[in-house]
Amino acid sequence: MSAPLLAVENIGRRFGGFVALEGVTAAFEPNKVTAIIGPNGAGKSTFFNLLSGVLAPSAGTIRFKQRDITGTPQHRFVHLGIARSYQITNIFPELSVHENVRVAAQAFRTRYDIWRARAAMSELDERADAALAAVGLLGRRTTTAKFLAHGQQRALEIAIALVAAPELLLLDEPTAGMGPEETRDMVALIEKLAADRTILLVEHKMKMILGLSDRILVLHHGRLIADGDPCHIQSDPEVRRVYLGQNDGYA
Amino acid sequence: MDAELIAMQLFSGVALGAILVMVALGLSIIFGMLGVVNFAHGALFMVGAYAGLYVATLTGSFWWGLLVAPLAVGAFGMLIERVLIRPLYGRSIDDPLLLTFGLGYVLVETVRILFGNEGMPFPTPPELAGVADLGIGYFPIYRLFVVGVVAVILLLLWLGLEKTRFGLIVRAGARDPQIMRVLGVDVARVWLMVFGLGVGLTALGGVLAAPMRSVDPEMGTLVLAEAFVVTVIGGMGSLVGAIVAGLLIGIAISMTALFAPEMATIVMFALMALVLLIRPQGLFGKPGRA
Amino acid sequence: MTASVHSVAEVMAGPAGRRGWRERLARWRVPLSVLVLCLLPWVLPSQALAVNVLIYGLLAVGYNLLFGYTGMLSFGHAAFFGAGAYATGIGIGQFGLPWFAAIGYGMLAGGALAFVVGLLAIRTRGIYFSMVTLALAQLVYYTALQATSITGGENGLRGFTLARIDLFGWSIDFLDPVKKYYVLMVFAALALWFVSRILNSPFGAVIEAIRENETRARACGYDVERSKVMSFTLSGLVCALAGALFALHLAIVPLDILGIQTSGMIVMMTLLGGAGSFFGPFVGALAFLLMEDVVSLWTPHWQIVVGTVFILFVLFLPKGIWGTLLAWRAGR
Repeated sequence: MSAPLLAVENIGRRFGGFVALEGVTAAFEPNKVTAIIGPNGAGKSTFFNLLSGVLAPSAGTIRFKQRDITGTPQHRFVHLGIARSYQITNIFPELSVHENVRVAAQAFRTRYDIWRARAAMSELDERADAALAAVGLLGRRTTTAKFLAHGQQRALEIAIALVAAPELLLLDEPTAGMGPEETRDMVALIEKLAADRTILLVEHKMKMILGLSDRILVLHHGRLIADGDPCHIQSDPEVRRVYLGQNDGYA
Repeated sequence: MDAELIAMQLFSGVALGAILVMVALGLSIIFGMLGVVNFAHGALFMVGAYAGLYVATLTGSFWWGLLVAPLAVGAFGMLIERVLIRPLYGRSIDDPLLLTFGLGYVLVETVRILFGNEGMPFPTPPELAGVADLGIGYFPIYRLFVVGVVAVILLLLWLGLEKTRFGLIVRAGARDPQIMRVLGVDVARVWLMVFGLGVGLTALGGVLAAPMRSVDPEMGTLVLAEAFVVTVIGGMGSLVGAIVAGLLIGIAISMTALFAPEMATIVMFALMALVLLIRPQGLFGKPGRA
Repeated sequence: MTASVHSVAEVMAGPAGRRGWRERLARWRVPLSVLVLCLLPWVLPSQALAVNVLIYGLLAVGYNLLFGYTGMLSFGHAAFFGAGAYATGIGIGQFGLPWFAAIGYGMLAGGALAFVVGLLAIRTRGIYFSMVTLALAQLVYYTALQATSITGGENGLRGFTLARIDLFGWSIDFLDPVKKYYVLMVFAALALWFVSRILNSPFGAVIEAIRENETRARACGYDVERSKVMSFTLSGLVCALAGALFALHLAIVPLDILGIQTSGMIVMMTLLGGAGSFFGPFVGALAFLLMEDVVSLWTPHWQIVVGTVFILFVLFLPKGIWGTLLAWRAGR
């Protein structure tokens, strides 16, 4: 077994008196797909926000490549090698598809340069177009992002994350709001991306998760109640009870 | 510097703060519900003072001015919401702010045309002139009256928010606008009423303030800045915050006026800067809202 | 892989023709602006109007960097305009600085003030930010009002009239309005070039990203707060230069320059012309000042007309004159 890429130890987050997440410990090996599931309000989003630096944990530590990164400001995460997509599409609506990805690529080259011409930095165009090609959006590169179809906007968001060449990719409900066809394309894309990077995803669509994931984590009321391969999770009595009780379509 | 003077100045601050509470409360109620910062709020304060003066002169009674002006200006506020603000819902949050700023401009000029550029005195009603001996010092009766009126209004507001269906809707809506649709409330009408209420409060502040100073077309400018300071210190959208911070600023201004008069207009901004450094969401604001 | 390389070439060829005129316009925007500024005194009805368009246009350009490109609606930019003007006047009148050093001093003062105000104000977002900038600018106003011995208080700052200025051995008659205009214009042109470079720079892409989506910009690895303070300071610096030119032009600095009306006027000009476009602010300044000139011929209450026009723009033409023209041209 190789050393874990990411390890969280006993992390938790409170909002005032409300405990959103508590005592979660888990380690993630490289190049695996792990799905995080749980009923609404289980703490999935909080978990993702802690892993991507949007929130700082109120307890516990996060290690990435053996290094303690707890409390690192959010904008540093992508430079460490952790990129994410959001549950609600999060792009630059008035910029072109190409500019969306290009500005993301630029963060790795220069951030405060007010003097040189950015148009001359052609390697950024190449990086951006490579990421767009990877998600199948190269043909739309001059379209203003807000005019893309929903599924394409989600793909664009993944291209924005990909251009960072992240070792760990966090996908928050990548197929939210998608029809069957768009979902199929997205699953194919994730499978392709999973070949050489570690992916964590939050999802609701069970069939998709079972086919895609190497491992599943189940959260309930802010706690980790099950952790294992899809077969193991499907037969776990507590998971069945939680989902049947919630009537969330799992049964 | 004797204790009596300090007590009188402290009370002066409370009266000044009471006016600020009215203005800031109106601003906060509108923001909490509609998500709109009304940059014409200061101008409407001034319009309230002029309306009060006009009605008082016409009827020969301060009391009619005090009653009619806030209602009339409040109704005018509803008209503003209906005609100018409503088309902007769903657009950038900056748009209502820009529009109300332009509106303030127009209101100030309109008053200049109608009443002239010069300030006008607003006589204290004879019933409320003079001073009262409260044992610890002499206090102007009119200021006692102002504090009393504001206290009554706050009590009425509190009762209205806690005990009526309208209040329930407002409180629920300020927390989560989605809830109002679930409850089947006519959102457009609630927003109309809330905007009218907020504008009426600032107009009342204008009428109440007028006898303590003179009225002039520019009187709303400083008030707008003061109301912003109060809102930033108290916390955006927090009604308790508006009350506490309003009184705090009133007292801070008048105490500074006693000890370091040249700093009196500056002290509140310094307090705001301090709050921004320590607690950017304001004393009673929720984090993340800032 | 070859397929995707092929399609890059394909897709790049197509829209280049359609977008061509915009790119050409962008490439020539500084020379074009300077050309227009050169002609301004001869095409406008008065010299006074030309120099006002120059100064207020530059002011709006500086403001546009923050409002139009970074998406931050400041209501306190009078403070940096005023600080630039006051510091320039004080530099000449009280420290005896040469005039060009005084301009530098004015920019330094305005830029430093913008840095401090920016640090405080960016702790808040959205409309909250607008309120805080307005309040902090009021603080500057009242401080200037109280500091009578330095600023002249209510009477404004006086006593730094320049009759002649010397530059590289030349002596220029500064009381001649045309010569004065062209001296001031050189500084405005330099500033336009500076702003244009910022907009074309990598940082220019960062602030647009922040305007479009702050959360995403942060997730992309940009320190949003630091970038905002930088944008705020750069914007304040350009506005301070406009203030310095204002001081040299009028040879007095009225206290009103720091007032809320000035801040509002900056916002109005920028929006009237078109926020977020390079030429918009100048178009807006020209429209605003022309409107003021024309309307005040028949009523002293020109502000009521300007305010009404502004309201109508917010309602029906939020992209402003230039922005609407651009969108209309692009849509054809």
